[in-house]
Amino acid sequence: MTSNPHEHLRAPLSILRFLPPFSGLPLGPLLTLSLRSLARRRPGLFERLGEFGKARFLIDPIDLPFTFHVVPDGSAALVRAAGRSGEPPSDVVIRGPILLLLGILDGTLDGDALFFHRAISVSGRTEAVVALRNAIEDAELRPSDLLGLKGTAARLADSGILGGLSFARQIATGAHRRERTQP
Amino acid sequence: MTTSGRMELVCPAGTPSALRAAVQAGADSIYCGFRDETNARNFPGLNFSPQELAEGIRFAHAHGSKVLVAINTFARAGDTDPWRHAADTAAACGADAVIAADIAVLDHMATQHPGTRLHLSVQAAAATPESIGFYADAFNVRRVVLPRVLSVQEIAALNRLIKVETEAFVFGGLCVMIEGRCYLSSYAAGRSPNLNGVCSPPEMVSYDEDREGTAARLAGFTIDRYAPGEPAGYPTLCKGRFKAGDKAGYLFEDPVSLNAGSMIVAFKAAGVTALKIEGRQRGKGYVTEVVRAFRKAVDAAEQGHDATEIDNILAGLSEGGRQTTGAYRKIWR
Repeated sequence: MTSNPHEHLRAPLSILRFLPPFSGLPLGPLLTLSLRSLARRRPGLFERLGEFGKARFLIDPIDLPFTFHVVPDGSAALVRAAGRSGEPPSDVVIRGPILLLLGILDGTLDGDALFFHRAISVSGRTEAVVALRNAIEDAELRPSDLLGLKGTAARLADSGILGGLSFARQIATGAHRRERTQP
Repeated sequence: MTTSGRMELVCPAGTPSALRAAVQAGADSIYCGFRDETNARNFPGLNFSPQELAEGIRFAHAHGSKVLVAINTFARAGDTDPWRHAADTAAACGADAVIAADIAVLDHMATQHPGTRLHLSVQAAAATPESIGFYADAFNVRRVVLPRVLSVQEIAALNRLIKVETEAFVFGGLCVMIEGRCYLSSYAAGRSPNLNGVCSPPEMVSYDEDREGTAARLAGFTIDRYAPGEPAGYPTLCKGRFKAGDKAGYLFEDPVSLNAGSMIVAFKAAGVTALKIEGRQRGKGYVTEVVRAFRKAVDAAEQGHDATEIDNILAGLSEGGRQTTGAYRKIWR
């Protein structure tokens, strides 16, 4: 019995083609700086995590060639991007297509629904996942929050990035429909 | 009841963002709790700090909505300070009402904060004129949240015999146990939903994958097993699927949700003051969608539309899941 309504939201190859060059960027240090900056501006967001701020989350976008190892410990937050070989030990593993994981982060998609429909998988300490889910749910994060932008730059970044994600989801949905209608 | 005399729509909020979403979607009242064991949705990362509650109340009042604070677990013998502190903080923040079940909490509120309205939580399981009358007389309780065991005809009869307002659950998770007195999960988890505020503590929940699919476990006990791709659920013992002999099935209750939207007109005729949506642990997307739909449905009912028209308004809320009107429509009677 399969009823995953988000099955089509795997990033299609046409999108993934653009991603390998980015994997060479120092994503870990950039995201670490971004999270720490966010913690300084919005400490309440990380307080909601409580003791689970020190938990080790392995975020695995299954359609990308790398994973993220995140410790969301406020101003001491740490993000590492690494290949799948030699994954570091973690308290929680969250796996799913990148478009779904980003949808949870920006609030477009309901993480509970994705999990219960098996579109994403979660293993490890359930209480840490629940805390992270609730913290993200309350955060109402915009791309500009992570980038530390304000004013016009924030509006441009939010509309550009969220518009891009929406476009990517449309492409993924279209590609999925074409696959299904092909004889 | 709202000042305009229409039924009050009482909506859940587990976080400040969900509170704002509920207000903006048209909630008359929002219920929420503190980030501790004093409320019955004590999940990690959920609920409000005192500062967040004060800000939430200011936001709600600025938009014409009320905030009801649930302090609805039972105080622990020898350690009542967390409940006393929660009650004092809710009153200091300007809560429009406190929702409580424990007579110690009710007594503290009635004696120390007589100006704050008291609502009797569903956790008190008060469903008779005698028990409701006791709470009204002893603590000046102004409203009772009805257990989900009464038919709408029984609610109408009850309303004729009591002096306080009634609030009925209309949508969301369904608990068929006697609320406030269920110890089922305690046997597995060693913690009580009535004292600690959660049926299946997340730290005792695990989803273990193997070749046959996924096993959902509570404190090591397998509660359900899902084939690959089969939709899963949060593992509470009462909704678990168990095997006896060669037959697997739901032993206590089927995993269905309550949707009594089609009975809004009947609730009004029965004298119900407020309609409650369950789901403080749900996200703001859920809150927005459900509150918006029920806002339209309640307004339609108030304007005299019939049950079929209201069903059409709420048709999008089924999410493909199984729903029931529960005990409200007891067709076997």
